[in-house]
Formats: sequence, C-alpha cells, structure tokens
Amino acid sequence: MDCHQTKSNIKHPHDAKRVLLMGNPNVGKSVIFNRLTGLDVVTANYTGTTVSYHEGLIRHQGDQALLIDVPGIYGLNAQSKAEEVAVHMLNDGADLIICVLDATHLERNLHLAFDLQNYAIPIVYVLNLSDVAKRKGIDIDCDLLSKYLNAPVFETVAVKNIGIDLLKDAVFKTHQTTPPLTIEDPYDKSREIADNVTKETDVEIRFIERLSEWCIKPKTGIPILFLVLMLALGIIVGGGKTLRSLLLLPLVNNYYIPFITTLFEGFLPDNLLRNILIGEFGVLIKMIEWPFALILPYVLLFYIVFSFLEDSGYLPRLGVLMDGLFRKIGLPGNNIIPFILGYGCAVPAILGTRASGSHRERVIVVSLIAIAVPCTAQTGAFITLLGDRSIFALIFVYMISFTTIVLTGIVLNRVLKGKSRPLILEIPNLLMPDMRSLGKKIWIKIKHFILEAQVPMFLGILLAALITETGALDVIGTFLEPLVVGWLDLPKEASLSLLLGVVRRELAVMPLLEMNLTTVQLITGSVVALFYLPCISVLFILVKEFKIKIALLIAFSTFIMAFLFGGLIQLLLNLVM
Amino acid sequence: MHLYACKKKQCYILNNCPKDVLLNAIGVRDGLQVSIVTKQPMGGPIVIRIKKREIAIDKSLACMITALAVT
Repeated sequence: MDCHQTKSNIKHPHDAKRVLLMGNPNVGKSVIFNRLTGLDVVTANYTGTTVSYHEGLIRHQGDQALLIDVPGIYGLNAQSKAEEVAVHMLNDGADLIICVLDATHLERNLHLAFDLQNYAIPIVYVLNLSDVAKRKGIDIDCDLLSKYLNAPVFETVAVKNIGIDLLKDAVFKTHQTTPPLTIEDPYDKSREIADNVTKETDVEIRFIERLSEWCIKPKTGIPILFLVLMLALGIIVGGGKTLRSLLLLPLVNNYYIPFITTLFEGFLPDNLLRNILIGEFGVLIKMIEWPFALILPYVLLFYIVFSFLEDSGYLPRLGVLMDGLFRKIGLPGNNIIPFILGYGCAVPAILGTRASGSHRERVIVVSLIAIAVPCTAQTGAFITLLGDRSIFALIFVYMISFTTIVLTGIVLNRVLKGKSRPLILEIPNLLMPDMRSLGKKIWIKIKHFILEAQVPMFLGILLAALITETGALDVIGTFLEPLVVGWLDLPKEASLSLLLGVVRRELAVMPLLEMNLTTVQLITGSVVALFYLPCISVLFILVKEFKIKIALLIAFSTFIMAFLFGGLIQLLLNLVM
Repeated sequence: MHLYACKKKQCYILNNCPKDVLLNAIGVRDGLQVSIVTKQPMGGPIVIRIKKREIAIDKSLACMITALAVT
C-alpha cells in the first residue's frame, strides 16, 4: 500500500560497492542521487522529506555500486528518527560515504563532515549548490577544503548535472580511509575551516533574494501568501474546469461513450450484464469518465502547483509566517507542509509527519487531515458537483472544512497532554525549480494516482453497478431511510454514496452527480462526504503508523461528525433558504 | 536584552544560547554576530541572519538567548 514512496527493488551484484549518500537536509542530496543512479526518486526542498531511504545502482565504465540515500541529518546524536536510521546504516558498514555539503552553508555542514570521519570509512565530499553560493558572493577554495578534510572535495551543481561525471569516477577510485581529525570543539573548528576556505564579497542583491526576504516578512509575506493562494486556486479550479469542459468531457461524451455503447449494444442483449457494463453506473463508462475526465485534471494541476511551491523553497517560508497561528492549534508552523500535502492525498501527508518532533504533533496533524481535509480527488469531485451549480456552495463547504480544522485543532491542543516543540528552522534558498526534476516528480505522483486509484475506483463502480442494477439499492435505501431521508433530507439512492465512500473519498461524492438534487441537498451530501470515513488506504496507513486504537478513534470521530454536521447543516439551510 | 526583544536591521552578539542539540547543529551559539530580519506576529518566531543564512528561532528559545547590540 505504501506506493507513494519510490522503492527500487534493485537486484544488485553481491560484489558491488555499498555507498552511503549523506548530508544535511536541503543540500540537494536527492537530486545527486537521481543524477548518479538515473532512478526515479521524488526530490523535495523540505527538511525531512527523505524519511525512509532509497537505493539505486551507479553504473560507470563497466563498474557498479549500490547507492543508498540516507535521510538528511544535522549530526549523529540519534536525536531524531532520521539520525537513528543514519547511525544504523553506518553501523551496518559501507565501502564509501559521499558527504554532500551545501556551499551556501558550509560552516554548519562541516559538523556532520567531522562526525562521519570517526567511522573509518573512505569519504568523498561534494560541494553542491556552488552556483547559488557564487551568486551570493561566496567563493570556496575546494583544494584548501580538501586539505583540511584529508579527503577529495568535488564541486557540483546537481540540478545542471555539473561535476557528476567526476564524482562517479571518484566513487570507484576512492579506497583510502580518511583519518579522523583531532578536534576539541567541532563548532570552533568548523568556523575556523569555513572562514579560511571562504571568501565572501558583496554582490548586488538579486530579485529572488529580495523576494525571499519579502516572503518571510509579515507585511509583505501575508499579501504574497494571498497572491499565491489566489493563483493556486485559479490554476487548479479554473484550469481544471477548462481542461475538463473543453477537452476531456467532449472526448469522453462525444467519442468514447458512443463508441463503447454501440460496441456492446451490438452483441449483448438488453440484460443485467449489459446494464452493469454500459448502464446508468456502467463500469466501462464510469471508470473512464469519473477518474480521467472529472478528477484527473484537478489532481494534475494540484501536483503541478504543489511541486513547484515545494521545490522552490516557498513552503518553509510559509511555515515560518504561519507559526504563530499554527501554535493556537498546538503545532509548530512547519507542519503546514504535510498539511498542504494532505490536500493532495492523505497517505503521503501522514507519512510526512514522521519528521514531526513529537507523537502529540503527529496525532494532531493526522487527525485534522483525516477528519476535515479533502484530498485532491475529492476536491475535483466537489468542484464538479458544486462548482457548476453555485461557487458559493463550494466556498461554503470549504469554510465548514476550515472551521472544523480550527475548532478540532483547538480542542486537541487542550485535550492532548504535552507541549509542542519549539520551532528552529534554517530557511532554505528560494530557487527557480529545476524543470526536469519537477516534471519527473509530477509524473511520478500522477502515475501513483492512476495506479493506486484505478483498482479501488473500478471496484467501487462495479459495486455501484451491481447494487443499482440488482435492486439491492432499494433494499439498502429502505434500511438507511431514517438516516439518509429522515435526518439528511437526501433521496434514498444517496445511500449509495455512503457505501462507496468507504472505498475512496471521491466516490462518496460522485454518485450524487447522477441524482437531480437541490442546492441544499448538494451541500448536505458534500458535507457528509467531506467528514465521512477516510478511504481504505488512509485507514491502512493510520493502523500502520499509529496504534489501532487511534486509527479507530479517528475513523469513528469522522463517521459521527459526517452525519451530525450533515443533518445540522441541512436543518439550518432549509430554515434559512 | 534577550534576542526576542531585539530591533530589526540591527546587529547583535549572541550569548547564553541554550544547550539545544538542533540549535547547536544549525550553528546558533555564543559569540555569533547576527542581524534581525523580522519577527512573526501572534508569538511566532524571530528570523535572524547569520552571514548569508536565515534562521527562524522560536519565541520561547529566543527569550532565553542574550543579545548584545554591536555599536
């Protein structure tokens, strides 16, 4: 189920060198891994993305080496899960360490460089982001640094593939163990070395550096945040609707559906099987129409926007800007990153919380995501359902989601014992993302969505077709009538949404499209779908990452909230409208 | 004066930095010269600049760090 992470399943020769790729967070390690191995791996410009590790093969002039991408760490004190993993990997033994240093933050990076020298493993150092350093007026003498560290140092610009071939050569030619440095105070030593090898000159401040500062100053940062939000919504909602109505729906409605209907009507008699295949909830029609024509445009555009913001380094700035507000719900501001990721899909968002400082923080973030954050597929379904009827209805449902997040956060902050850890965050460089890496990352995410969503979606639609065509919906509808009709004021058939919503969140919305509902009923159905059970993948991850008790508690809370809020909203709206 | 009370755009020397592993690993320690970039609203962090790096430090920690103005 954990298919949101790239797993290599590499069959490597037993005599291949074992190489550890190590470094501080945000030094471009994942891009170097990508360049050295050519393997698809998701790269990110945020601390803690590489919580689990990846491995791949370096092939160079007939030789092979196994490269392991170790989580980004600041030291080897085993203070975090990432550091624990790194220490384990070092203790397992390696033939070589590639230690990546950030040329723009050399002094801080040297602490880890010193720690690694205690392991009697040959090391090569990589001075990455050297182009950004030069732009900032930082010039580093690599030869002198190499003398200080008693090991080779290579200058690279990984996103542009500069220096990677020389590094590959070094991987297969470096065999000498680096003797540990005699250091009394690693902080003084790193300062001394950094001062001696670095020449800093004043350079003209470029627009991107000014923008970087504007993003973290409240007076300019908040208007920029609103601008980014408006742009993101414009691209996702506006772009998605355009793509859907001008390209995908005409393709499906004018070509695919007539073709498939004519084809099956030609040789299948008008019976149950034909209705299941091409009827009202025909599997062959809905499994193309729902995921590809109605949902995919929004998923694609969400990941384009999110990946751009993630790789540009904007999100940590947002975390700093929002920290004060996030504290009110018991979270340090940098939790905004898994939170926003939750609007894409809850599974990677929940996995991303592994980097959180405490169990308490994880429980708060995960509860909020599971309860009231709609995933991008469900967002697409909401836009299709509500956006076409009334944009205010769509905004209203999202306001309910937002209010619930705030109120639940305040309650959890009071109920859960303990305190949030203090925020300490080194703000990464603001960069124009590398388009090649960005394209690859978006492609991997879309591929995962298609592969992961398609099977449950197919099963859900098949279930819908069977229930509708066999008359079982009538029986289930009668059984659920007091709840669906009596309390929620929805038609009996809407009970289908409750059945399908267990499989995937957007499936709790999609059947409502086929019913002729009033605006109030559309809002009620959407509110129920918003809070209804997390999908099967999310439940699985909740059980895996937390105790089953917490997973069931979250699922039970969402279930109760769905019907409670759905009914109350219906009563309120019918009273007002 | 503690770090959180410092004025923007001025330079300070840090003292009495708490023994926090991440704070030390990130390079915030006694004797460093820093300038103040900004302070976030609603009790948010203070952002300091050390050479060409920007670091956000929580209010609770910043209140524990002494800062001496550089004249």
